Amino acid sequence: MSKLLIVDDEVEICEFLKSFFEDRDFEVAVANGGSQALEKAATFHPEVVLLDIQMPGMDGLQVLKKIKEIYPKVKVIMVTAVETQEKIEEAMRLGADNYITKPLSLEYLEKDVQDKIDNLAKGF
Amino acid sequence: MNRRGWAHLKKDGPFHVKTPKTVLKKVLVGLVLFSFGAFVAYLLPFLMSFSGVSGCWVHHPLLPILVMTAIFVSAYKSTEQWVRKFLEKYFFHKKTFAQMTLMDLANDLAVNLDIQEIANLVVNTFGEVLQLKTVALLVPDPFQNNYEIASAFGWTISASKKVRLAAETPLLKMIHQTGPHVLMRGPVLQSLSWQEANALACDLDSLQAAWIIPLFVKGELAGLLAFGALAPDTVFDQGDFHFFREFAAAIAPCVHNAMIVKRLRQLNLELQDSQSQWIQKTKLNAIEKLAAGIAHEIHNPLAIISGKAQVLLMQRGPKQLEPNVQNALNAIVKQTHRAADITRKLLMYSQGSRGPQERISLEKVLDETLSLLAYQASTDKIEIVKNLDRDLPPFFANIQEIREIFLNLLLNAVEAIGTEGKIVVELKYRRDEELIEIVCSDTGKGIPAEHLDKVFNPFYTTRHEAVGLGLFVTKQIVHRYGGSIRVESQVGIGSMFILQLPYVAEAIREKESEETGATVWGA
Repeated sequence: MSKLLIVDDEVEICEFLKSFFEDRDFEVAVANGGSQALEKAATFHPEVVLLDIQMPGMDGLQVLKKIKEIYPKVKVIMVTAVETQEKIEEAMRLGADNYITKPLSLEYLEKDVQDKIDNLAKGF
Repeated sequence: MNRRGWAHLKKDGPFHVKTPKTVLKKVLVGLVLFSFGAFVAYLLPFLMSFSGVSGCWVHHPLLPILVMTAIFVSAYKSTEQWVRKFLEKYFFHKKTFAQMTLMDLANDLAVNLDIQEIANLVVNTFGEVLQLKTVALLVPDPFQNNYEIASAFGWTISASKKVRLAAETPLLKMIHQTGPHVLMRGPVLQSLSWQEANALACDLDSLQAAWIIPLFVKGELAGLLAFGALAPDTVFDQGDFHFFREFAAAIAPCVHNAMIVKRLRQLNLELQDSQSQWIQKTKLNAIEKLAAGIAHEIHNPLAIISGKAQVLLMQRGPKQLEPNVQNALNAIVKQTHRAADITRKLLMYSQGSRGPQERISLEKVLDETLSLLAYQASTDKIEIVKNLDRDLPPFFANIQEIREIFLNLLLNAVEAIGTEGKIVVELKYRRDEELIEIVCSDTGKGIPAEHLDKVFNPFYTTRHEAVGLGLFVTKQIVHRYGGSIRVESQVGIGSMFILQLPYVAEAIREKESEETGATVWGA
């Protein structure tokens, strides 16, 4: 079973994403903040992380940096409510593997997450 | 500069020329005085005997000569003046008429502050009344430190536009040394060494001039009046040159003042320009902040609404949704995306060209955009045809903005078609003009002629459920890339949007040399 960590300060977003991916036989963990996300990453060992950029406290970009430092193999897909070019650019520079904007197209997201997992399996 | 040569010019007065008028004047004065003298000498013996004077000296042969000489000496000045007046009145009145006209003009110009009007009046009047071949008024261009032709008489417009006299040209150097004297081609060239004469002749040729009247205001050269005559042997006399200097002194302050006014106007325009740019920028900043704030606050709830609906729509398992429930959920997903689109477009508009630019493949970006529309197109029986140039080069742009362009054009076409029709997207590279051309044509309902110029306005829409920002944002993006967009349409037949974006090969090369191995998104 593929492991997916969902990080968003909006509880309801985490909720529907969790039910969606669990329906597709993923093992899903949820974090509602930056520091919680790092704790979960340490214990849960996800393959793919869905990471919101704007969060109170430690924001998505800081979490991304830490995750890529500690677990360089983990694939991170940034989720953002506002397409600010600077933020997206910085995320790409920090090693984000893709970004998607809210409201999400679950069809596209599922395909993208599956792609990342397939790539991991191939050893990319 | 040949100093000796110039000193010689000044001392001997290079402008003293024997004109037909002076010769005629001298001959006439001689004739008048001689006849008067002869007449008096002839009458003298009779007068003497009449008044009772007698003596042998009355009949002395030297007496008439003595009387004639006395008359010559005493009456020469007054006779010359009289003869000059007579000649000017009946034979040479044209020149004085010209001088009067020009002085009247100079007086009128004192209240005019429009340099173009002044220049036109001066060159045209000067050329007409003196019957010249060419006249040009040159004024300084403070931005480029040279002199340009403000108005010309007897020149073709294109030729007068080309002439520019740099501050260091021999002619201007010469004028700064000679001061307000009128320069005459022949004598001046003769006074110089042949190299200098050659250089100066070049300047004079470029101005098509044989004479130059400098316009000085308090030691500053406010302009030049350069003119050439129709006949090569046209000459001006001392009086004419005296008049030219008088005329120059009269119009120079007018030209100078008008130039100051012109410069003030230019500076004022620049100020207005930068002010409006600043206001526009401030507005955009405000819109961006607002849009970013709204986007963040609205996109999260929209994501939840659309997400929950999608979870229901896409859930796996044996239980199927009722068709009406499925329809409702589809509508929810579609409408939430539409709502998010508004803030996204506003953000895109206000952010300007700050997005990262990279090499992108237009074909890939088009394919991505088409895949977004594929579902809707297939349900609506819309055929989409791609027509691409084989040698389409990679384009240097912000991928988001190019996506936005394609998406807006295609969405527009889909909306125009409705349920059944055909969209053709063409990507062409016009190598000769260095342009990338994007043509999107549809077989939709078309745009009425009276609406054609409005389709790019913000919030213009014919669909009650649309915002009307799509084509506006597209146009903004196209303009940011220095391109153009236009539309051709016929009601009932369809519309065609034609975009042209300048293809800048150098930008790609430069960028490549800067950062080799840059990420190529979408490629």
